[in-house]
Amino acid sequence: MSKLARGPWRRILLIGCVLAWSGPLLADGSGSVGQAQPYYLGQGLYFPQQAVRVGGYADVQFHGLDNHRNALAIEDLSLFLTKDFGARWKMFSEVELGDAVTVTDHHVTTRNANVDLERLYAEYRVSNGITLRVGKFLTPVGQWNLIHADPLVWSVSRPLTTTAAFARHSTGAMLYGTVSLQNHDLDYWLFADDSQAIGFARSHDLAYGAYGATNSLKNDFSHAVGGQFLYHMMDDRLSVGASAARYTLRDPLQQYRLIGIDFAWTGRHVEFSGEALQRTADNPTLPDEVGGFVQAVVPLPRKLYVVGRYERYRSSTQQGALSIRSIGLNYRPVRGLFLKLERLDGSRNAALDPSGWFVSAGVIF
Amino acid sequence: MVSNAVAKGANDRQIAIIVSRHTPVTTIDNNLLRSVFLKKIFLDPANHVYVPVNLKPDSKLRRDFTLAVIHMDEPQLQSYWNRQYFQGISPPFVLGSQTAVVDFVAKTPGAIGYVRPCYVNAKVKVILLLTVIGALADAAPEHCPSDGRH
Repeated sequence: MSKLARGPWRRILLIGCVLAWSGPLLADGSGSVGQAQPYYLGQGLYFPQQAVRVGGYADVQFHGLDNHRNALAIEDLSLFLTKDFGARWKMFSEVELGDAVTVTDHHVTTRNANVDLERLYAEYRVSNGITLRVGKFLTPVGQWNLIHADPLVWSVSRPLTTTAAFARHSTGAMLYGTVSLQNHDLDYWLFADDSQAIGFARSHDLAYGAYGATNSLKNDFSHAVGGQFLYHMMDDRLSVGASAARYTLRDPLQQYRLIGIDFAWTGRHVEFSGEALQRTADNPTLPDEVGGFVQAVVPLPRKLYVVGRYERYRSSTQQGALSIRSIGLNYRPVRGLFLKLERLDGSRNAALDPSGWFVSAGVIF
Repeated sequence: MVSNAVAKGANDRQIAIIVSRHTPVTTIDNNLLRSVFLKKIFLDPANHVYVPVNLKPDSKLRRDFTLAVIHMDEPQLQSYWNRQYFQGISPPFVLGSQTAVVDFVAKTPGAIGYVRPCYVNAKVKVILLLTVIGALADAAPEHCPSDGRH
């Protein structure tokens, strides 16, 4: 996690915040709505005079890993700030306070607390199908990484497939949008990262970020180019996607190629989703990173959902493939609130994604 | 089906898609309407920003519109907007009544909303008239202004 609030980027962020809170730059026709609107949990609070929306999410997690001390933590406290500058320009930022308070057995600490600039970017809407984004953003590889926040995903744990092979954040430029293809929507993201040159607010994402994982390898892009396509069918009930990227990681300095596929299907009584990827190093002596998962969600009465997932992953850092099984419950009593319980087991997973019980509760506001 | 003159007391099974009388847009098709309300399309042909407006989540007309145009049920749509919100894209503006929708659309360039045809007045124009069919049409309609109960 990066430590924000040092160096010139603090001044840039400060200027951005001042701009964000200044008055509206354009009046009618700008796309902003100059009138108050009711607040709904999960939609942020809108300030019409400033064309600013403030929101975010917070969650508390309990980790009860096998053969480890139990831990309770205020895992995330994220603040979103969105401001429209007229019809075509927008600024978005997400600042996250991570692990603000951690309780392990009888010990309470704030030592793990960190402030991370998760995202900071400006956008320009070129046309209906093209938006240019410049700044720090989530790397568009697979669907999970783009919506990884605890309130938005069904499980507490996160598949290795969505973290281990690439940097989860990019700094550079992106073109994205939606175009129509044979009467269906095709979403696309094309990005170029130059973290080495721009290099602000690095996130130092852990490749194996699960609680209790002993491998501390970090994934930071030095350079990267890539993209993703997502094709929607059946009124968005089915989407299939593909990702590809070529990049250099900083430490150890190495070049890689990545390809991935993903899908999501929502039926009346079950939802299936999955992702798979393969990362190949330019150095032929290095083993590939290969993995994938399938997840099923079955709705029960009273806004309760059963969530099951199976993942198989072969890491470049250990011999042989590991497998991980997860089963859990997700309770969503009202929009914006959630409570999750999960049991994770596996084989050969102790170092990268240890077995145990997980509980998470939170809100998106 | 497009109509610019819909009398009060018109078919309760219809939903009128309205824009300001001064907006150059004269028609819209279902696919484009869906994209506008999902905020996948944001500029109209005259380069005005679309401002889609919704009714409150518990509105029956909103449910009818969502099923007929967006083709999603409420949980699906909620999931969609949660994902979009995380990307900094907010759901459509929400207004508390059909009368408020008409007033807002009338004075806001680019605004586009939906109401029962009996709410349409001279300050807005109808660019699409949807006919609700099947199970949706069987439910009791919301009251019109002439009922004096809105």
